[in-house]
Amino acid sequence: MEPKSPLGHMVREVWPLIILSVGLLLVVVVIQSFGDRIVSQSLTEGLIRLVVVIGLYIFIGNSGLISFGHIGFMMIGAYATAWQTMDPMTKDIFIPGLPAYLLANSHHWLIATIIGGLIAAIAACISGLAMMRLSGIAASIGTFALFMSFYSLYLQWSTWTAGQSSLVGIPVTTTPWVAFWFCIVAMIGAFVYSRSKFGLALRASREDEVAAKAAGVNVTGERVISFTLSAFFVGMAGGLYGHFLGLLTVDTFYLPMTFITLSMLVVGGMQSLSGAVVGTIVLSFVIELLRKAEKGFSLGETSISLPASSAEVGLGIILLLILIFRPSGFTRNSEIYWPFKPKVAVTEVTHRQS
Amino acid sequence: MVQQGGDSSSTLEVRDVTIRFEGLTAIDQVNETVTPGEILGLIGPNGAGKTTLVNTMTGFQEPTVGDVLLDGTSVRKVNAHQLRRMGVSRTFQAGRLFREMSVVENVEVAGVGMGLRRAAAHKEATKLLDWIGLSDRANVLAGALPYTDERRVGIARALIQSPKFMLLDEPAAGMSDLECDDLMKLVQRVRDEFGCGIVLIEHNMRVVMGVCERIHVLDSGRTIARGTPGEVQKNPAVIEAYLGKG
Ligand SMILES: Nc1ncnc2c1ncn2[C@@H]1O[C@H](COP(=O)(O)OP(=O)(O)OP(=O)(O)O)[C@@H](O)[C@H]1O
Ligand SMILES: [Mg+2]
Repeated sequence: MEPKSPLGHMVREVWPLIILSVGLLLVVVVIQSFGDRIVSQSLTEGLIRLVVVIGLYIFIGNSGLISFGHIGFMMIGAYATAWQTMDPMTKDIFIPGLPAYLLANSHHWLIATIIGGLIAAIAACISGLAMMRLSGIAASIGTFALFMSFYSLYLQWSTWTAGQSSLVGIPVTTTPWVAFWFCIVAMIGAFVYSRSKFGLALRASREDEVAAKAAGVNVTGERVISFTLSAFFVGMAGGLYGHFLGLLTVDTFYLPMTFITLSMLVVGGMQSLSGAVVGTIVLSFVIELLRKAEKGFSLGETSISLPASSAEVGLGIILLLILIFRPSGFTRNSEIYWPFKPKVAVTEVTHRQS
Repeated sequence: MVQQGGDSSSTLEVRDVTIRFEGLTAIDQVNETVTPGEILGLIGPNGAGKTTLVNTMTGFQEPTVGDVLLDGTSVRKVNAHQLRRMGVSRTFQAGRLFREMSVVENVEVAGVGMGLRRAAAHKEATKLLDWIGLSDRANVLAGALPYTDERRVGIARALIQSPKFMLLDEPAAGMSDLECDDLMKLVQRVRDEFGCGIVLIEHNMRVVMGVCERIHVLDSGRTIARGTPGEVQKNPAVIEAYLGKG
């Protein structure tokens, strides 16, 4: 059944986006219906992570380069947002190094989050210009070096970040629904980008960098665009995260966060938006279950608990299994299919995004 | 589709070019000038330096000594993607299609690379595939194509937005006589309808002698002969180079 009307055509064009949004909405509604505060908090955290993973997908999925640096941009976004929303009195006490304007004023959390994302994007653009000439493993190591520099810088820079201690007094504004809407916006952003000429050109360089250059594609430039856009979303996710926790420590944005978000993308399928979403949802459930099991649960008379860190170990095992047996992830790097078309030969491109 | 890519005053020139790779001299003081509307054959035994010379002329390899000029201006320092936008395009010995993309997307990438919006690039790509006889394969994954079609996609990708010069690296490799005939026709059609200057690297002498007006013979990086197919065929140095190395 081929849609004939313009509306049918449009629905078909954005089908993966519709399915993913509706699916995510259902997940949120069902979980919220438990009415449990703890569960609802896990949900918010999961949704914020989803924004991060979608941001990662924008760069990693389309460029084929693995970035170990994006959590650095999350940190930049988180602090930049907090600088704007905290109460001026609190800022005076904990982070007196801020510029006078920030010490005296505060912004609405939404505006602050967007500005936080923009600041992360600017950091990515500048570092990307220097780094995106590199390819393959060199580029990945470059992003890791960048990440470590940001991390160390923020640890030392205590008049702005409270350094080794926590920055407290951040207003808690990120509800599950706020995080949900950011997920939707991030999905739309990622979808539109990957369908755009920029996404197409960058995916070409992922397939064959030399051939892409011969086709007139400015590979470095396209990578910088993608790096910047992805850092924008990851930076906003950082802002949301600070305003979910109510406090920030630099250590929040270190290797565990990097590992968890990258695993989610890999497990779902790095080269599709559906992969980012599915991977995050599935692994978030797995992590929650393992965390529960660490705390202990009772089976009839006996109470069983898994050793601490089971969640991390479990995640590592799942990641390894996926890498070994299904390297293209749950979604096999494809978007969710349009269900109304008769089966076609395998050589036909149907709804692959790339 | 008649597009006039080249104007006759345009030139692509290598001037006294030498290229060394850590001691190995791949190209040794080579000169050549290509003009729109001509088909130049570039031949020589394996490892003669043909691909390396094409790499220099398309911005993929900076010469160690000497200069590359487009319309008289040095493009020695110009990047490959910029040179493509200035009208110098190429194909690759290994095909190098974007295998996970559809055929039409492969060509569309080049349209986008040339600065078109995506919809316009798609339209141009579709037109070009139609012209080259691949419209029925437009939505097939490029990685699933037979090699004859693969070469055509490579040529379509190089043709979008009418380049002034197109450099083809062994487009007929592995083809049967019949397939070679098709390719020769295609190369001539490209020249006639797009008006671009073509450099053709080819081992198949039937193809080279069939379509090239002029031939440049390389051996171990040095020019050993230049001239018409008839002249080159009779040249003792050429015969020696080919017989001596098989
Ligand atoms: N990037 C490089 N680094 C080192 N040596 C190189 C490089 N590129 C080419 N060479 C060497 O330069 C010489 C010329 O290679 P080139 O690929 O240009 O030959 P060719 O004429 O295209 O051969 P073929 O007919 O096999 O394609 C070869 O000896 C090759 O090994
Ligand atoms: Mg070669």
